[in-house]
Amino acid sequence: MERSDAEPSDAAVIAASFADPAAFATIFDRHAATLLRFLVRRVGPDAADGLVGESFRIAFERRSSFDCSRANARPWLYGIATNVLAKHGRAEARRFAALARLPRPSADAPDDQVIDQVAAHELWPRVAATIAALPPGERDALLLYAWEDLGYEDIAAALGIPVGTVRSRLNRARRRLRQVREPEEAGGEQPSTHSEDRGRIGQ
Amino acid sequence: MSDDLDPLRRARPDRLQPDDPIDPAVLSDERERFMSTIDQTGTGPGTERRTPSIYPRLAYRDEVAALEYLTRVFGFREWRESRMEHSTGMLAWLEVGDGVVMIGRAGREHHDISSPADAGAITCMVNVYVDNVDAHYARAAAEGARIVMPLEDMFWGDRRYEALDLEGHRWHFGERLSHVRERLDES
Repeated sequence: MERSDAEPSDAAVIAASFADPAAFATIFDRHAATLLRFLVRRVGPDAADGLVGESFRIAFERRSSFDCSRANARPWLYGIATNVLAKHGRAEARRFAALARLPRPSADAPDDQVIDQVAAHELWPRVAATIAALPPGERDALLLYAWEDLGYEDIAAALGIPVGTVRSRLNRARRRLRQVREPEEAGGEQPSTHSEDRGRIGQ
Repeated sequence: MSDDLDPLRRARPDRLQPDDPIDPAVLSDERERFMSTIDQTGTGPGTERRTPSIYPRLAYRDEVAALEYLTRVFGFREWRESRMEHSTGMLAWLEVGDGVVMIGRAGREHHDISSPADAGAITCMVNVYVDNVDAHYARAAAEGARIVMPLEDMFWGDRRYEALDLEGHRWHFGERLSHVRERLDES
């Protein structure tokens, strides 16, 4: 969302919400659509029902843990939503299984788009299976990076982990995805289901 | 941005299925619900959550069932954003008043803490002061807590009862008698 300089930063709005809780509505209005799209991508529209509200209620309760030196609250909100998602691992697994079976796109889209989409569709079932099998910490970092376009710094802030850990998680996830495209090179390494510590917000 | 993750970017669900936009009514409903919870919260500075200096960790064979039980039957509130889920078990923090208990899975690999259901013995009792022990008792009993000491006024100035949870941990819920009297005078 574009904002003029005259509008207060998220940090200023959150600071104001201590005296006036209703001011927090501005944070909802600025970021709820983004967060809802993120949640729907991860678990599908049915399971996402109510999660955006839950994420904002947690954000509101925990607003004193927001680092006000950061003007933009979006990475912090992504982190809270990611933790909310952690309870819905089964819904996410079902989501990826359903996505892998999506029908092919119809042919009335522009040509290059069709080609693009067909290519994506051919790879997608295997990509989906690989993502579903990733350790949660790797999946969180990977999807914040590739689907939400967050940078390393923002992912680190969101997940409450060092930037170096973001980098290593992304590297491990990419290595597993590379094997999807080059299956002949895929040796014995299977996607691990071992989960490492999840980032904890504000601990 | 263009790199080896492009296939994954193209496969983003809303790009695979672009005809399925988000219903704007979902957001306005969520906003309304969210704002109604804010209004109940009232004004004043946000209170930073602080883990107390001493807080027990209880172990359960099925810590997920325990989380459901303790929130439903005893009305504990989970610090949802703190929950940690591993392939080897879940950790959750439950708040009541200014106190916190942590729950996790029982077993040798989890700090060697046992569930009473496995140990065959209770080795500690967790004492909890609540705002209204009569209401708390009614709720716990209605939700199926195993009451082992009935609600009773005690000589040391508490009104209390004791209950076992789903795996046999023993809980003592009390309220100061002076607080009970204030509460009854007000009503």
